[in-house]
Amino acid sequence: MWSAESQLGAEPLGKPGGGKPALTLRIPHSAFRILAAFWRLNLAEELQYRANLVASVLGTLFYMATALLTLALFFQHTVRLGGWGYWEVVVLLGVFNTLTGVIEAVLRPGIGRLAAEVRSGGLDLVLAKPVDAQGFVSFRRLDIWRFADVVLGLGLAGYALLRLDRVPSVAQLAAFALALGAAVVVVYALWVGLMSLAFWFVSVENLSVLFDALYEGARYPVSAYPGALRFLFVYLIPIAWTTTVPASALTGRLGPWSAVAAAAVAAAAFVLARLVWRAALRRYTGASG
Amino acid sequence: MSSAIAADGLSKTFRVKVRDSGVAGALRALVRPRYRDVHAVRDVTFRIDPGEIVAFLGPNGAGKTTTLKMLAGLLYPTTGRVEVTGFVPWTGGPDFKRRIALVLGNRQQLVWDLPPEETFQLNRAIYDIPDAAYRERLAELVALLELGDVMQKPVRQLSLGERMKCELAAALLHHPPILFLDEPTLGLDVTAQEAIRRFLTQYRERHGATVLLTSHYMQDVTALASRVLIINRGRLLYDGALAALVARIARTKRIELVLGDGVTTGEALATFGAVKSFRFPNAVLEVPRDEAAATSARLLAALPIADLSIQDPPIEDVIRQAFTHGIEEDA
Amino acid sequence: MTWRRRYGALIRNAWLVDLQYRASIVLWIIWGVMEPTIALGIWWTIAGDGAVGGYARADFARYFFALMLVNQLTIAWDSWYLDGWIRGGELNYRLARPLHPAHEAVAENLAYKARSAGTILVVWLLVALVWPAVRLPLEPGRWALTALAVLLAAAMRFFISFTTGLLAFWTTRATAIMELHGGVSLFLAGRIAPLALLPPVVGNVAGLLWFPYMLAFPVELLTGAAHGPRALLARFAGQVVWLAVWVGAYRLAWSRGLRRYGAVGG
Repeated sequence: MWSAESQLGAEPLGKPGGGKPALTLRIPHSAFRILAAFWRLNLAEELQYRANLVASVLGTLFYMATALLTLALFFQHTVRLGGWGYWEVVVLLGVFNTLTGVIEAVLRPGIGRLAAEVRSGGLDLVLAKPVDAQGFVSFRRLDIWRFADVVLGLGLAGYALLRLDRVPSVAQLAAFALALGAAVVVVYALWVGLMSLAFWFVSVENLSVLFDALYEGARYPVSAYPGALRFLFVYLIPIAWTTTVPASALTGRLGPWSAVAAAAVAAAAFVLARLVWRAALRRYTGASG
Repeated sequence: MSSAIAADGLSKTFRVKVRDSGVAGALRALVRPRYRDVHAVRDVTFRIDPGEIVAFLGPNGAGKTTTLKMLAGLLYPTTGRVEVTGFVPWTGGPDFKRRIALVLGNRQQLVWDLPPEETFQLNRAIYDIPDAAYRERLAELVALLELGDVMQKPVRQLSLGERMKCELAAALLHHPPILFLDEPTLGLDVTAQEAIRRFLTQYRERHGATVLLTSHYMQDVTALASRVLIINRGRLLYDGALAALVARIARTKRIELVLGDGVTTGEALATFGAVKSFRFPNAVLEVPRDEAAATSARLLAALPIADLSIQDPPIEDVIRQAFTHGIEEDA
Repeated sequence: MTWRRRYGALIRNAWLVDLQYRASIVLWIIWGVMEPTIALGIWWTIAGDGAVGGYARADFARYFFALMLVNQLTIAWDSWYLDGWIRGGELNYRLARPLHPAHEAVAENLAYKARSAGTILVVWLLVALVWPAVRLPLEPGRWALTALAVLLAAAMRFFISFTTGLLAFWTTRATAIMELHGGVSLFLAGRIAPLALLPPVVGNVAGLLWFPYMLAFPVELLTGAAHGPRALLARFAGQVVWLAVWVGAYRLAWSRGLRRYGAVGG
């Protein structure tokens, strides 16, 4: 399994153990090669369990169905929800499913396992390797079947656009892609920040449950929430934006520069998360700042 | 009341679904499933008297754990009869379960996050142990197993050996007359293994419990069990004392030598018997059992030998031979 | 006498373990509270200054706070536990003891709820201090009836969860079946909206099944929904009947499942 590493001639990223990880990530070929080796192994394992793909897809379809029925129930009693029509909210639902697909495929199997690694001491093995710990922990394991959720989510959004009789322009699609990418980065940053708490609260084994609970708030557009909840989901834990902004880009609600603003927010979130990670790792390894 | 444990023609057959690989195979298995029979236990018959310590020996998959589970009432036999302290285990109900203790090595019943004391209290309630008896028995078990320091620590902080000792204590609070142990010393360090063996011997001496244990370790058998049941591929190959088994199937003896000066190669020894190992000045020869004494005399006469002893072959070899070749009658 | 001692020991054990995991439990409570909170938020927006299906904003607030409490008092998760026990081999030592494993599950349930429902109750009281909308009128008679309905609902949900968990004797997808049940109960048990807001056809289907008795009925009682004496009696009768049905299903699953376990092992 470490044959990839033995082929490395490249320089290591951070020093193992107590060295301070860089604020910016230089990503040399070596990191990709290591990850690729892990992913190949991962894929080989997962392909043995093809039944998991069927089960996973069925599960996602079931949850999408209940979400659509929920929306249908709300729209039995109203024409617009926070100014959004039914199919516009379905577009947002598609974006929501796309993002949860990324979460299930990449984040939960990777950085979501950080608490367990800290408790078991497995993290020490990671720290001894010549790779950036954050990158490694985040991406070494994928649940590839869950990428199907991404496809299903985008498909749902596309279908909803069809029902709206709206074909997004190239600019809108570009804005959507940018906003979606920014949303993924923000969600990633939130996970890193949350999981870093595992270094302080080692005994809490279900930190990811906190994210799941709060992320439910991203199912509906920001404007659908009354004051107090809007404060919670928009300003306190800014998850509602991750679905509202990309969906708005797709349905033409978004101004041209909002997507760029979203990208800026994503960059800031990423930097912030990295700072939190560094602080947490410093505390863990006992090195002084 | 005759035997504590009686098994007659005990058999257990599992029907296992045969699944072909690939998607087509999976679909086929769904529509028209095929089965094959796995005979885990075949026609096993034995009697165990109260107060005996008996060891079940056999390679993995031999049927030891399956037999144990049938004795404990977790599985019911396909054919045959089994009776434990007068009960049919499968239908015994709570009255039967009060008379046994089952300790499975890898699935521990100690509450992980709390001190072992809490599990003991829980068992006291489950088995309806009167207060005075509970205190007395707990004191005895703590003393015999040397559990004094660990009683207040959460189980997750204990070493494997300490945990196993606590498992045993928890299992014996209700003084069951029958004790089933599945691999009790597995994974423990030597000190812990010896402590457990010592404890089981003492406990049996004091309370006359019947102990049935499965094990891979020879030392468990030689130190504890008066009697050995060897199982391989579901069949009972041997039932009796270990020494008798060794005598019956070990056709050879080993002569261990410490050589004096002058014999630097093994060739000189080859004429006396098969040279198993030679690292000057130590050497080991293997000779047929009935020739051992005579060959030793010839060796002493012919070569400069500082020390000589005649040994049985290692028990592992004997057992392995029993597994692979069965136990034939002496020629 | 012995049963009191047994349950005392079991509950004490479960309580102490929960004490070790109290931080994790807080997160589970937050998770359990999020769904009703979000639903409340959406209905709040939809209701605006008027009413939806007879529910104004204050009515929705009362409904969903009551739902939070009743859910915590009636919830059961034994399907996940049992699934783990059966497939992880932890059922073996439990079966070798003279105690039916269900008792351990019940004790665990009670210990957890004491903590979680207690928390929700305290939160509700605090919120009621500053938010008049969520206050309930002081009606001891109604509360006594609600307590009975909650008890019956909790018992039924326990047997539903336990029976579904027993399916692990036959399939690896027992938890998936429980999730399916959860998806249906989202609508039919009144989790996403009061049953009165469902399309009439759906409401009728719900009335034929056990779902309303899980949550909606106790919640309606607690929030002061009007029931004539005959309707009340009919609903309590429905609870008893469905409880009996699920107890029957549990007994069937247990005896058959144990038989299968004794045949194929675990």
